[in-house]
Amino acid sequence: MTAAQREPVTRAEVIAVIAELGDRTPQDVTEKIGSLEVAWLVSQLEQRYDTTLELTDEEFEQMGTVTGAVVTLRDLLPGAGHDG
Amino acid sequence: MGLFMGLRYASRPGGEDARAHPFPSGEWVHDILLAGDPGEPCLSMGGTVSRGELTGLVDNQQRLLEQAGLRPGGTVTVRLPPSVEYIATLLGAWRAGAQVSLLDHRLVSREVDNALDRLAPQVVVTARSVTAAPMAGYARAVAEATGRADGRPAATQHVLIQLSSGSTGPSKIIARTAADLVSELDRYEQLDEYPKRGERVVLLASMVHVLGLVGGLLHSLHAGVRLAFPERLTADGIRDAVAAGAEPTMVLGVPFHAELLAAGGAPLSALSRMVVAGELVRPWLPGAFAARYGVPLGTMYGMTELGVIATDLDGRHHPAVAPAPGMSLRVVDGELQVQMPASPYIGLVDDTRWVDGWLRTRDAAAIDEATGLVTILGRLDSQIAVGGLKVDLTEVEQTLCALPQVDSGVVTYGSVIEAYLVLRAGASAADVESALAERLAPYKRPRDLHVLDAMPRTATGKISRDRSVLRAAAGASPAVEP
Repeated sequence: MTAAQREPVTRAEVIAVIAELGDRTPQDVTEKIGSLEVAWLVSQLEQRYDTTLELTDEEFEQMGTVTGAVVTLRDLLPGAGHDG
Repeated sequence: MGLFMGLRYASRPGGEDARAHPFPSGEWVHDILLAGDPGEPCLSMGGTVSRGELTGLVDNQQRLLEQAGLRPGGTVTVRLPPSVEYIATLLGAWRAGAQVSLLDHRLVSREVDNALDRLAPQVVVTARSVTAAPMAGYARAVAEATGRADGRPAATQHVLIQLSSGSTGPSKIIARTAADLVSELDRYEQLDEYPKRGERVVLLASMVHVLGLVGGLLHSLHAGVRLAFPERLTADGIRDAVAAGAEPTMVLGVPFHAELLAAGGAPLSALSRMVVAGELVRPWLPGAFAARYGVPLGTMYGMTELGVIATDLDGRHHPAVAPAPGMSLRVVDGELQVQMPASPYIGLVDDTRWVDGWLRTRDAAAIDEATGLVTILGRLDSQIAVGGLKVDLTEVEQTLCALPQVDSGVVTYGSVIEAYLVLRAGASAADVESALAERLAPYKRPRDLHVLDAMPRTATGKISRDRSVLRAAAGASPAVEP
């Protein structure tokens, strides 16, 4: 599957990626996410989507919660639409 | 090794104290750090800075500080983000013959005010403007030096002052002399696997803290190692920084950075090793890193008080580390102690941490008597590390419980910092959150505030600290949809 064919990133995918840091279960992931987790999430998704995510200050701020991260990533990732 | 011979002493103006404590002149900065081929590239932070250019920038910052009133034997606090400006200001202040205290730029203003009350510097350097993209590996900053009328000159001969995350009471003031820093540089120089002239270091660790400051910045300047910073502190950003040079390159960071790199990516031909410190490494990480890159993930153990203490740069002893040259270690009642000739603490004296020539580390450890290798087992107090930054949970809990909005509470750490609390009448969790944001740097703040009707208690009536009991009292985690 190419990046352009990918489905928009889901909330479950975001939580699953964050949980990989620190060997946690998805249930252990809190709604609020810290700067290390944001760096981890961005790194992982850059690799999976083969892209570079250049976040603005506002976008980075918005990545501070799981909900905000899902919204931001749907806007930024290639092939992702606003229909999620 | 003869490195101490570069240290000369100049008297400080005025008073008997000055004669009793001659403050070292700043000539060591040139002799130990800046001397060498002026055309040699020494920093890569966006552009490349040569040794000669850095010397010019240090001159400029020294003049800026002197115009703000800094004199030999004076005191200056530097609070700047990682930047060429930070490096030039630190070296400029040292060369002016000053005692320099470093504050993390992430501290909030109340933490900075508390620190300045303790330190009483004569000059404070902050950023007038900062340009840095989110997750950037460095910033562009313009420094501003401000004189403080009530600041005090140096009362001791120490050139470097750092504040600990003390586990009881206020943070400790940790002080190091130029000779002590030079002695640490000497230890690094004696480690065969540590980068030498003609090699490169990609630095991910903070230059305000001892690992990045001495093991990264000062060693690189002293040894003629090129010091590079990534554009972005992401896995791809770090890999790009390694691939930007052909020289053998060591990446220096904290375990989180190694986890970023171990999670994906192709081998890097310039990468010679990665070395991490600051917190314990998860058991699977060295193997995963070596499998991906074909080079070792090494570890180091050190403290703000002493710098590097023990290392395993090839990862061959993991999780054990070998004492660095000249370091004497022992374990007493399960606690690691390190020999050091003088107490590293000034101001408030804590007579439980340094006793009779031994520093008590508060780290649990075991020493293999046959090999001398040391295995660090964890903390004996409430200190944790978040991305290599030390956080004292007692400080967080005391700050929380001192808030007028909070009746009672506990702070726990599993994979993140969490608080469980009972509010006073009329207060909200949002009130508590904003009050904490005024008092604690972001990395110290509880990720979640769990508001309870009552704190769960043990059979003896004490507030429970058992995370499973607290979690049960608080209900389900909010991030996962039901």
